Amino acid sequence: MKILIVEDERKTGEYLCMGLREAGYAVELLNNGVDGLHQALEGDHDLIILDVMLPGMDGWQVLRGLRAQGREMPVLFLTAKDHVDDRVKGLELGADDYLVKPFSFSELLARVRTILRRGRSGMEPTTLQVADLELDLLRRRVTRAGKRIDLTAKEFGLLELLMRRKGEVLPRSLIASQVWDVNFDSDTNVIEVAMRRLRVKVDDGFECRLLQTVRGMGYVLEVPEHS
Amino acid sequence: MIRRLTLTARLTFLYTLVSAVVLLGLGVLVAWSTHLHFIDLDRDYLLDKVQLIEKIVDETPEPVELAAKLDESLNSHQGLFISITRGDEQLFGKGGITFPAELAARSAADQPMDWTDGERQLRGMSTELSTAQMRGGLTSPGQSMRLTLALDTQHHTHFMQMLRQQLAIYVILATLLSGLLGWWAARSGLAPLRTMRERALKVTAHKLDERMPIDAVPVEMAELARSLNTMLERLQQDFTKLMEFSSDIAHELRTPISNLLTQTQVSLSQHRDPDTYRDILASNAEEFQRLARMVSDMLFLAKTDHGIQLPNREDVALEEEAKSLLDFYDAVAEDKELRLRVVGAGSVVGDRLMIRRAISNLLSNALRHAHPHTEVELTVESEGDGINLCVTNTGDPVEAVDLPRLFDRFYRADKARAHPSSDGAGLGLAITKAIMLAHGGSVAVTSVAGRTRFCLHFVSQP
Repeated sequence: MKILIVEDERKTGEYLCMGLREAGYAVELLNNGVDGLHQALEGDHDLIILDVMLPGMDGWQVLRGLRAQGREMPVLFLTAKDHVDDRVKGLELGADDYLVKPFSFSELLARVRTILRRGRSGMEPTTLQVADLELDLLRRRVTRAGKRIDLTAKEFGLLELLMRRKGEVLPRSLIASQVWDVNFDSDTNVIEVAMRRLRVKVDDGFECRLLQTVRGMGYVLEVPEHS
Repeated sequence: MIRRLTLTARLTFLYTLVSAVVLLGLGVLVAWSTHLHFIDLDRDYLLDKVQLIEKIVDETPEPVELAAKLDESLNSHQGLFISITRGDEQLFGKGGITFPAELAARSAADQPMDWTDGERQLRGMSTELSTAQMRGGLTSPGQSMRLTLALDTQHHTHFMQMLRQQLAIYVILATLLSGLLGWWAARSGLAPLRTMRERALKVTAHKLDERMPIDAVPVEMAELARSLNTMLERLQQDFTKLMEFSSDIAHELRTPISNLLTQTQVSLSQHRDPDTYRDILASNAEEFQRLARMVSDMLFLAKTDHGIQLPNREDVALEEEAKSLLDFYDAVAEDKELRLRVVGAGSVVGDRLMIRRAISNLLSNALRHAHPHTEVELTVESEGDGINLCVTNTGDPVEAVDLPRLFDRFYRADKARAHPSSDGAGLGLAITKAIMLAHGGSVAVTSVAGRTRFCLHFVSQP
């Protein structure tokens, strides 16, 4: 998967580059709009991450230029200004997502994955499985090592999200938004408590702990490396 | 042009203009009355002479004798011209001027006529001599006698000229003087304005406590002064709030930044194992997230301060949103063994996301301060002109002095418990208030015997 980042803030650009590379993407970084547009038209990127404020040519213009040439690859905007107008403008122009600085890297990564996954629609699975944990979407039942686990509706939703995106670190804000439709900064303590309770139900009594906290980033469901 | 003049100049100009018009009118009136008075005087004089001459003519039968008699009695009258004719024959003449012909058509009842004869300015009249019986045979049948007489009005003209000159000088001087008086009056009348101006000049960002002198200015200006004072009052309040806010921001930012800096520098001071580094970075990331949230909260508040337009307007069922948020807080409540419940229903028009945020902040606050094993109740009910959404919890009583300040930014009733445990920066309730104001609503809080109740009041759309 190839990602093109157009960002004039050097440090931000470099860290984004590093982070996304480590997440397994091929990343290219440019620091101005003109080069950005040129490269985006030349290359075959799967995603373009565009800063709105750019020297030479701003993010809107780059996006317009791309769409004018019939290039339909997904575009994620980064901006320091949080104006509803901007957001609407970006979406009207055909941006796929929009992140306001300062954002956390885990949030960006989660969104990048969501966008890149979008294209690949396959058969919707009816059961999700990680190690010995099984989630049956149709019957809404969860079992671990064959043993039934009782979950509330929201706990089921939370576990489903974590299992669908196993191995991805999900930031608290993304979890709050996806599971509870809380799309604003809220008491992050709430997610912690909910995760703790879910962990008791899912992991207690098992050697292999699937639900893990990544400090400063969020939560991830995966089979720990050392086991 | 007149718009750019100072108020003093404008008033002086108007005052002078009015004085000039009044004085000029007065001057013209005086001159005209004098002129008319002279005409009256001359007429009386001429009529007087007509009577005298009639009497002499009456008493004198002989033309020769008549001339002598008239000469004798009228000799002393300077500037008087007389002619008595009988038919075409002149019986008597004095002064030696030729009277204009049209005078012959007039009678004594007419106004005197003015004309000039060379240098002379003359005013005269003419009349048929109506002597009772023409004794002495001065007239023969079919003949009439006509008396024409005139007065030299040179002296009047002189007098009038002088009078006009004097009047003109007087009018000019008086106008100038009144202009000067007007200027002085305007200046002293406007003195309070200057006082206010001087006061206003003293008002700066550092001296916002200056006020306009209400008692020292005239009644008409007291109202203005009062309005200005109210404005200054508001400005001062807002300014103080802003100052407090910026110093709060500085303070709130300084603590975490200094923590981060110290922690980072200490960890860099020597080699550590990777786990320690990971721990430090994770702790830094948490702190950074807190900072980022604080900044975006402050930006949100700054935006609402400028009076935002609601991004979306839709019908929002409050009890639905409340239930969905209770779902969100469910785990925390269970953890603390709190019971949550929603009572009532009602819907309002507004931005759903913002309303959810406002309610969420109240719930978060209530859960944080509720005593374990108590109930947190969320009620939705109609009240007056709108709908009230209240969140009530049982906890430590809030001091009455703290109540109105709970919605202030960064305000924490319990200074000691300030932040570490609670992850809010003390902006949640301020944001709730800002959201309610953006919706045209209001917030209120009461605390009675440990029952603290926060209410959002939504005004129904007309």
